[in-house]
Amino acid sequence: MRQLGLGLAVVAAGLAMALQTARADEELPIGVIAAQSGSFVSAGNTIVGAANLAAQQINDAGGIKVGDKTYKIKLYIRDNRTDVNVTIAAARELVNDIGVKAIWGTETHDFSVSMAKITGPAKVLQFSGNSSLGAVLDDKAVAEDGWLHYTFQSEPQEWQRSGSTAKGVLSLLTPQLKSPPKHSVVFVGNDATGQYLSSHYVKALEAEGQKVDLVQYPPDTTDFSPLLTRIKGMKPDIVHFWYNGDSTLTAFPQALKLGVAPSYFLFGVDPGIYQERSLKADVPVTMSCVPVCWGSSPYPEVKQYFDKYFGLGAAKGPQSSVSLLYYDYFFWYAKALEKVGKIDDPDAVVAELLKSDYKGVVSPVPLVFNKHHQVTFATEVCMVEPNTSDKFKCAVEQPPAAPPPGDNGG
Amino acid sequence: MFRPSPSLQVRHPDLIMDIFVQQLVNSLSVASVTILIGIGITLIFGLAGIVNFAHGEFLMVGGMATWFMVGTGMNFFVALVLAGLLVGALGFAAERCLFRFTLNRPMNGFIMSIGLSVILQHAVIRVFNEFQKSITDPVGLVWTIGGVDIIAMRAIVVAITAVIVAITYFGISRSRYGMALRASVSDRDTAELMGIPVRRYVTGVFIYGSLLAGIGGALMISLFPITPFTGSVIIIRGFAVSLIGGLGNVGGAVVGGLVLGLVDGLSAGYGYPEWTDAYSLVVMILILVLRPQGLLGGTLGPKAS
Repeated sequence: MRQLGLGLAVVAAGLAMALQTARADEELPIGVIAAQSGSFVSAGNTIVGAANLAAQQINDAGGIKVGDKTYKIKLYIRDNRTDVNVTIAAARELVNDIGVKAIWGTETHDFSVSMAKITGPAKVLQFSGNSSLGAVLDDKAVAEDGWLHYTFQSEPQEWQRSGSTAKGVLSLLTPQLKSPPKHSVVFVGNDATGQYLSSHYVKALEAEGQKVDLVQYPPDTTDFSPLLTRIKGMKPDIVHFWYNGDSTLTAFPQALKLGVAPSYFLFGVDPGIYQERSLKADVPVTMSCVPVCWGSSPYPEVKQYFDKYFGLGAAKGPQSSVSLLYYDYFFWYAKALEKVGKIDDPDAVVAELLKSDYKGVVSPVPLVFNKHHQVTFATEVCMVEPNTSDKFKCAVEQPPAAPPPGDNGG
Repeated sequence: MFRPSPSLQVRHPDLIMDIFVQQLVNSLSVASVTILIGIGITLIFGLAGIVNFAHGEFLMVGGMATWFMVGTGMNFFVALVLAGLLVGALGFAAERCLFRFTLNRPMNGFIMSIGLSVILQHAVIRVFNEFQKSITDPVGLVWTIGGVDIIAMRAIVVAITAVIVAITYFGISRSRYGMALRASVSDRDTAELMGIPVRRYVTGVFIYGSLLAGIGGALMISLFPITPFTGSVIIIRGFAVSLIGGLGNVGGAVVGGLVLGLVDGLSAGYGYPEWTDAYSLVVMILILVLRPQGLLGGTLGPKAS
């Protein structure tokens, strides 16, 4: 009998210890929906890379202390296969079956909007790095009873990014040209994102005194020579390859061979990729990253971030910097949870995010959400010296204070 | 929707003729890779009776293999030959392990080939990664003749395509093998009774078409970067070329490729640039409505038995 009592006591003690351990390591379920296959895979994989790194760092640092409990992040990563229907199915599973508290993703506007229609009613926070969300994030949508109250845009508004980029490009190229550039051609893929983004960039260039022509090409174009020949006939001072880094890397070498313009700007092409591909031009070439470059960053904390990001096995690609549209927000969200003291009060977390700031890796200026749940930070622009692949000069121009004339800011 | 600026036309009259000639040169080079893909498809689709939607991925594998070999320091033209042989071997394996079981049910083969294309895309992502791959221009020369820029590597691609077209044309139209092949397309049962090993010929056509895809992939990466998804884009044009020209007709594939190349080049130069793809597909639809057998005529494609 004494032995039985002793045994029961040991079992009870063991159970108590197990319960204590479980209490110390509660799980905070967070969803990630990103393209790990399909045509957006190179952007989608960066979201997963950022999430893995942030979760590992938060958990290794002891987790998130909320009230008297400590939570470790458990990621539930779903591949949306670059398909909006798969995205919706994944969001439903994460929200309804798993019960995640927040979701990071996805990489495109229409996918993010579809997700928000699921996360909103379930009061699940959503962090999406699409500047085009600016078209729907308005006073009514983000109000307490609005359908985007729990959605946050983790990339600046497009007029801000366009303004910051245009200023950076012109400040770097103007001293390199015989006369100040006056005529720009913006060359962009004719899809929904390309149309949205280029409309703001054209206005930003016009605000800087440029006469701008817009030439759109069908998505998935590989042979750009006929279109580039047409642009050559327009005698531009600068050709701006806008929006799609992969298309830009296909078109730009063709433009160099055809001698299309005396200077170029490549959006979304990292100096690291320019160097890796041994690209060389006999004219000045600028390039920008979304938002800061892994190949040539002026900030030591950005360099440290990318060392760790690539150290986890992420591939070096033209869009690797997109991961920084997602990384900082894990820490900011964790900070908000700790401040609120509860993980089941999404309204309080939203309120805390809106009144707090966070000094992250992506910007030397602390991140702040505006009343429409959007952040602001600058875009880095670099210029490579002619006839070199690895000599870069970079500039970070802060976004303008207001949208340029003709830009409604949406 | 944001509209292009109205000042899109060429504003410098002195450039008009140079630009026009440049667009004709561009059209020829646009056509050459398309012709190579179209020939492979037209042979496999029109003569072997197999609808291989993974043909574009065969091309992509050829390009990726070339990128890998050139990356190890191999000469591009050696890599081009090896890529052709590698993809030919891939075609042999696919025909023996998959498509030979669907010869009497072409729709099964079609669906199977869609599955194969997805598997090949993700196998390449797994082996390498999802990012674009490119090689340095193997020749790196641009000739300027009277204001027109001719990129040397594009001229080489046109020349290689012309040689392959000539070999394939004479092989199909003049050789004993080609005659036997065409006989087996017309009447498979009679051809078999006459002692023609039809199944072996089908395998041969499939291997040859795949080899051309491998060479096409190698030539393509010498001009443009490619991704694991390049094949699924290029396959549409390949089928368009083979249908416009006439299934199984090598000359037809050349004419089809030139028609699409010309439409692409001139519409991009003088039409609404964002509609470039639409122009060529409208031309394809018109041709197929007016001449269902294709411009030069061909076979009726695969038949279920």
